[in-house]
Amino acid sequence: MKIVVAMRQIADLVEELEVDASGADIDREFVKFVSNEWDEAALEEALCLKEAHGGEVVVVGVDDVDFDQTLFGALAKGADRAVKLDCGFEGWMPTAVRAEILARWLREESFDLVLTGVQAADDLDGQLAGVLGARLGLPHAAVVVGLEPDGSGFKVTQELGGGVTLTSHATGPLVLGIQAARQAPRYVPISRIRQAMSAGGIEVVEVEAPSARAPKVTRLFAPEAKGRAEMLGDKPSEVAARIVELIRAKGVSVS
Amino acid sequence: MLLAVVETRKIFGGTTHLERVFFYLLALVVLVVFFAGLGLRVKKYMAGRPLDASRFRRARVPLEKPGVSAPVPLTQTGVDIAANRTVSRRNHAVGGAHLLLFWGFLGLLAATIIVGLDYDVYGNLTRIFGGKELSFFKGWFYLGYNAIFDTAGLAAIVGAVWLAVRRIRDTKSSVALDYTRAQKPRSGYSRAAMTAGDHLFIFGLILILFTGILLQGLRIDAAGFPSFERWTWLGYLVGSGFGALGLHGSAAGTAHFWLWWVHILMALAFVAYLPFSKALHMISAPANLAVRDPGNTRRLPSPPSGHAGYQDFADFTSKELLGFDACTKCGRCHSVCPARTGGAPLSPRDLILDLRQYADRKRGIPMVLDWEERPDQSGPKNLEGRLAGEVIEPATLWSCTTCMACVEICPVGIEHVPTIVSLRRSLVDAGEMDPTLQAALENIATQGNSFGKSSRMRARWTKGLDIPIPDARKEEVEYLWFLGDFASFDERLQEISRTLARVLTANGISFGILYEDERNAGNDVRRAGEEGLFEMLVEKNMEAFSKASFKKIFTTDPHSFNTLRNEYPAYGLDKPVMHYSELLASLISEGRVSLAGLDKKVTYHDPCYLGRYNRIFDAPRSVITSAGCELVEMPRNRTNSFCCGAGGGRIWMDDSVLAERPSANRIREAAELDVGYFVVACPKDYAMFSDAVKSTGNEDRMKVVDIVELFAEASGELALAGAASEEAPES
Repeated sequence: MKIVVAMRQIADLVEELEVDASGADIDREFVKFVSNEWDEAALEEALCLKEAHGGEVVVVGVDDVDFDQTLFGALAKGADRAVKLDCGFEGWMPTAVRAEILARWLREESFDLVLTGVQAADDLDGQLAGVLGARLGLPHAAVVVGLEPDGSGFKVTQELGGGVTLTSHATGPLVLGIQAARQAPRYVPISRIRQAMSAGGIEVVEVEAPSARAPKVTRLFAPEAKGRAEMLGDKPSEVAARIVELIRAKGVSVS
Repeated sequence: MLLAVVETRKIFGGTTHLERVFFYLLALVVLVVFFAGLGLRVKKYMAGRPLDASRFRRARVPLEKPGVSAPVPLTQTGVDIAANRTVSRRNHAVGGAHLLLFWGFLGLLAATIIVGLDYDVYGNLTRIFGGKELSFFKGWFYLGYNAIFDTAGLAAIVGAVWLAVRRIRDTKSSVALDYTRAQKPRSGYSRAAMTAGDHLFIFGLILILFTGILLQGLRIDAAGFPSFERWTWLGYLVGSGFGALGLHGSAAGTAHFWLWWVHILMALAFVAYLPFSKALHMISAPANLAVRDPGNTRRLPSPPSGHAGYQDFADFTSKELLGFDACTKCGRCHSVCPARTGGAPLSPRDLILDLRQYADRKRGIPMVLDWEERPDQSGPKNLEGRLAGEVIEPATLWSCTTCMACVEICPVGIEHVPTIVSLRRSLVDAGEMDPTLQAALENIATQGNSFGKSSRMRARWTKGLDIPIPDARKEEVEYLWFLGDFASFDERLQEISRTLARVLTANGISFGILYEDERNAGNDVRRAGEEGLFEMLVEKNMEAFSKASFKKIFTTDPHSFNTLRNEYPAYGLDKPVMHYSELLASLISEGRVSLAGLDKKVTYHDPCYLGRYNRIFDAPRSVITSAGCELVEMPRNRTNSFCCGAGGGRIWMDDSVLAERPSANRIREAAELDVGYFVVACPKDYAMFSDAVKSTGNEDRMKVVDIVELFAEASGELALAGAASEEAPES
């Protein structure tokens, strides 16, 4: 079984994000980039499948800030190959473009599964798995919480709304958006990451920057305050006084 | 014809040649068994990793103290052993009894050797080469010999009986003498053999000693009480007793003959039994004390080459293997351990005993009544399983707070903490840990702090100050202030950091901070077993230090203090490292500040990493007393301080499984004292004890305060919330 895990970097949300001068992107100058946590779940699921059933795990992604760290981390955890797709793209990459770049590389590869995170901070509607599946002409599913080989195909469990889960059988190759792995992503000791770094082993593949049809970002902004909420402070006596004042001012209907 | 009286006695108790041959053959067999046993042990130690010689070569840290952070000099070890100092610590009665037995036994050993030298060596040599068998075991030598070694015999008996009586009486009441395991194997276990072994050892010894004295009495009685035997005062006394009971002449002689054989057979059996039992500690304990290096706990050794952590028998150092054999199961570590006290599945004693049994089984060394029985092949019987994870349970290893109380009190110099960390390293390498610890380590790896906050937020605590805090990377300062994560990010502690900043500024101390370049110092990361991350943090901090200009470092956090002072020098740090309590104390002692009397009744908690680890006991106390507080000590203070439970990475792990958190145990201790303030000098202590005061319902009775809060109030910088209502007078 050959499993490809598509990973991506996102801005670390621990940082305070700021909009850059163009007004259409975050200021990438001082922000730290980290691996998307759902992609880490996809990697964990791939590693668990490999450990249980054998096979090969290949991690792939479009080159981005500190992406090497993520790839070395994946190699240290047990991935067999790490591939970095270099297309010279700068700034925020629309998911459609990302999917096209991945698809170009994947068309040259053989695989049984492509796993990726169900969503990312800049892809909250989780398009990547769907768009990638469509580009490759393969069946796809999102919000996957369970995955097992099942005869000639796979048993895929998905989470639906209202606490309902759905199990289906599909014959590979498949593209899946992983919501959760069977266990929390494992810890990889720094010494192992350093070993992976000194061993090298990241394959760099030049990919032509595609001209996929994608919407153009016109404005990026923090939610604007509507000015309807008022914080009443934290001293109980002052809060009480202010409530009384508000009730007096705005009136209250007692029926 | 008048016979001249020669003051001597017959050496050999038997009469016939056959008996003589039997005795010497038996003695030969016994010596073969004894040295074979010792040989097995020594070969076991040789199979371990050799001692890391680099510790003898490394550069000395200016504040390194022999016996604390550097190896103990052999002369001091000699005195420690001769005076049984490590046994007497915190228990003078047991130490006194042990000292009597120790010197009494050594005396009797010397007596036996002297007789052997005379009878078997000198006697035979003179017979073979001089034609006539001579002896020096006569005259004044004989009289002095008996007077001295009878005293030794009495001392040994008194000491042994004292210890035996204590062991029998105290097993019910003393935690230390109770062999119940802290970690309960699923299959059950029995330590009845160990208890039987203890009894065999002490009562066997007493029997040998008693029969020896009785023999003397019978011999003197049978000889008709020659007057020179009055020098053999104890034997004479016992002989008189036999006489009074009507045992005389040949009857006494016959009794002597049989008892002599009983005594000799028991003594020979004891010699053969020694290397396979608890009695081995007579040799292994002094040997282990001689090679002990308390610096090993303060400055952890690197992992064995090629392994992240200990994986099998060959990873233990010779010294660790010797230490396992030195354990006498005295249980002092067991009773002081905060994990064990709190109900965690760790007892330092059980850990050492498990590892000893594992090592002996691996090497095929038999043990006499010194093993634990289990119905299955779990724990130390699991010779094929993973050392960290199966032989020793992960929960056991993760329970350690690295407080070092066990290392401190161990009378035979065992260093438990480095072994535990070495085993943890294997767990970390396999990614086997609490999810909360994993999250903390991941946060530290990405952001440099355990709070998971952006590294740029590290100096945000300075926002509430009206004074600027110099940036040590931009201007020259005398002191570099290394805050640590809690003092930087925990909201309760940020106010204390601001107070310290105000106090230092007001007193004209030149200091600066590293702003976003400071990283977690890595003390607890290293002790959690994440060596690679520790090294990364050291590199980052050393890089930050190189960008700054300063003369000395002081820290808020005692944990950071320990690693910066004891571990960073190996990575190139060559600046003195202080704790802020020392800085405050020096302001007082140099007369740079005058403090007003606060009139508070307080107690003080010694942080493990400040007190036990680095022996700073007096600086925080001088701040407290100079501020006019009445200091009431808790029963467990200074080197015997009781851990808050946060060390060694425990602060990042779930402690809801504990029956009682160590911090709550400590607050109950303080609550007995009727003091209004629980003074700390460690950010983690502040956090832990603030919670514990609430959880134990002592919120109204006791307030947790930092020494700098007392200092600030006494110097007029700040009035303690909830303290005296009127403003503290200006200094």
